[in-house]
Amino acid sequence: MHTIYYLVLVPMVYAAFAVFIVGSIVRMIKILRTPKHPTTLQIFPKKEPAWLHALSDTFLMPTVLKHNPLLWVFLVLFHGAVLLLVIGHLELFSDFALFQIIPHEVFIGKGLVGLTAAVSLLYFLFRRFTSPVRDISVAEDYYLLILLFLTVIFGSEMDWARRWYDYDVMGVDAYRTYLWSLITFQPQVPDEILFSGHSFMLVLHVFFANIFLMVFPFSKIMHTFFALPVNKLRRG
Amino acid sequence: MDAKTRDDLLQLFQSKLNRAMTYYLETCTRCGVCTTACHVYQSMPQAKYIAAYRAEIVRRIYKKYFKGQGKVWPSYGEAKELTEMALEELYEAAYSCTGCRRCMVYCPFGIDTQMIMSIAKLLLVGAHAEPEILTLLADTSIEKGKSIEFFKEGFLQGVKNLEQQVVEKWKLEAEGKTVIPVDVEGADLLYVALAGAHSIIPAAAVFNAAGENWTLSFFEAVNFGAFVGDPTKTKLILDRIVNEAKRLKVKEVCICECGTAYRVMKQLSGKQPFEVSSVTEVHARYIREGRIKLDKSRFQGPVTYHDPCQIARNGGILEEPRYILQHLTDDYREMAPDPRYNYCCGGGGGLVALGEETLDFRMKSARVKAEQVQKTGAAILATACENCHTQLENLNHHYKLGMNVQFLTSMVADALVI
Ligand code: SF4
Ligand code: SF4
Repeated sequence: MHTIYYLVLVPMVYAAFAVFIVGSIVRMIKILRTPKHPTTLQIFPKKEPAWLHALSDTFLMPTVLKHNPLLWVFLVLFHGAVLLLVIGHLELFSDFALFQIIPHEVFIGKGLVGLTAAVSLLYFLFRRFTSPVRDISVAEDYYLLILLFLTVIFGSEMDWARRWYDYDVMGVDAYRTYLWSLITFQPQVPDEILFSGHSFMLVLHVFFANIFLMVFPFSKIMHTFFALPVNKLRRG
Repeated sequence: MDAKTRDDLLQLFQSKLNRAMTYYLETCTRCGVCTTACHVYQSMPQAKYIAAYRAEIVRRIYKKYFKGQGKVWPSYGEAKELTEMALEELYEAAYSCTGCRRCMVYCPFGIDTQMIMSIAKLLLVGAHAEPEILTLLADTSIEKGKSIEFFKEGFLQGVKNLEQQVVEKWKLEAEGKTVIPVDVEGADLLYVALAGAHSIIPAAAVFNAAGENWTLSFFEAVNFGAFVGDPTKTKLILDRIVNEAKRLKVKEVCICECGTAYRVMKQLSGKQPFEVSSVTEVHARYIREGRIKLDKSRFQGPVTYHDPCQIARNGGILEEPRYILQHLTDDYREMAPDPRYNYCCGGGGGLVALGEETLDFRMKSARVKAEQVQKTGAAILATACENCHTQLENLNHHYKLGMNVQFLTSMVADALVI
């Protein structure tokens, strides 16, 4: 069992990041090497400056707000939560003065961030099961939501256990040891992580996250990188 | 479908995969925000009329042949093989989309469904499964470009007959001046009309009233190549006019009321020694410069204006028609909610050119347009596109709107104070 745990926590993590990074870069380079479209693709009335509107379209999603406000609320909650989760994970490496501008205890958000993400994902999922969104959905759409939900739920549970149930065996220090060992390529998994009662949760969290990273470059999640350039096309 | 045919079609598919297209194909999250954007879906709420659904039909083939997942795990993205059946689906998707790009206003990424549909149209052309009539019309246009001498005589005779009508109606002084000049080297403006008196006579009256140094093109503006989605033919048809403009050394090419022709000419002709404008822009300019005067009492009753998609949302001519209408009426009614969200008339993308064959679909799919028009309470419905005009006339009849559907140029010509 612990061999499997180890495989998920070390080699698979390396593999996942390799696929994610190399995959994303190769795909982007490939696309950037295709020829540009010969004509403008913008829509009118023109909005100046174009780049500012492209930024606002990308990060504020005004068209969704206008045509589907409820979806917009959840999209903002979800993407905001993801951003905070990324910050939270960075802080599992070490303290960043930048993030501590608003002083908080690691992991950021008192457990509510994960909850927000999980609830939003459930909303997205249930929404997909109702027409008309159901009619335009393909298997990928469900797989990704379920995968993300599993990742978030197992990750959050560890946070919730520490926050709300005073579980303190697996703490920030253990994560820091583990994660530092990974990025310095001297992998070492502390006993608290490998042998504690909550190890299976961590392993499941990391397992699903690994899979997510590996499908990332080949899925619609690439909209993370494409949203801005594609929006720029609309604004000219 | 045999392997050879499929390979050829995939080659065509590949030729469409530039950067913008790849972004469009890769980015859609199937969020469904575009659902209510399409007038076809709004009028007939069936999943197949959702913009993302149409696009997905093309995207599934893309996943099958141009993405690893199509080989490794086809069911992941529901990748689909290119078969005869698939061609039928592509036909249905592409020829129920008018290419209005209203969905692009809704989409959080601004995905251009019209452009994705251009892949479908090209594949259909490659498989000889496109509406034949459109190809036929495109070929005729190209033929005319090649053998202009052959058509010249008939054309000039036709123009002579029209001149008489212009003189009669507007009582212009005809002495010494050609009413409809053709083939004038060094003219300032080349006017590209449609085959049809209504596209030439009023325009001629306005040009002459404004004292324009103009000349009429031998060719008709409409680009059937663009309707059928054949890039080579589109370019050939376009080039006839570009070459004529260069030969006559004109400063400006003015496109008549034809949405597709305007957008193709404006955006696809590349850098040229002449400017491209729509006749609407030119008329607005004449009014602004005081070169023509209009009589506001000529038209009675409230007026509304239908923005042709390719001219307004996709071409940027939004203010000019409204400026002209200010000089034609005191009771102008804007359609709700605003021009950016103007519904397509339902006739674009070659549907009107297909005539009777598409009439039933055009009427059903444009119910929301008819309602939008009716809500204005206008008596006159003006527009600036041949296609839109035909379709709006059909809607007017079908939904018994009791409106007077007008070309904006005709209104300008009729209200001329000479
Ligand atoms: S709104 Fe855009 S991203 Fe969403 S389903 Fe429609 S085309 Fe796809
Ligand atoms: S371009 Fe127009 S007709 Fe085509 S899917 Fe979009 S909204 Fe519908």
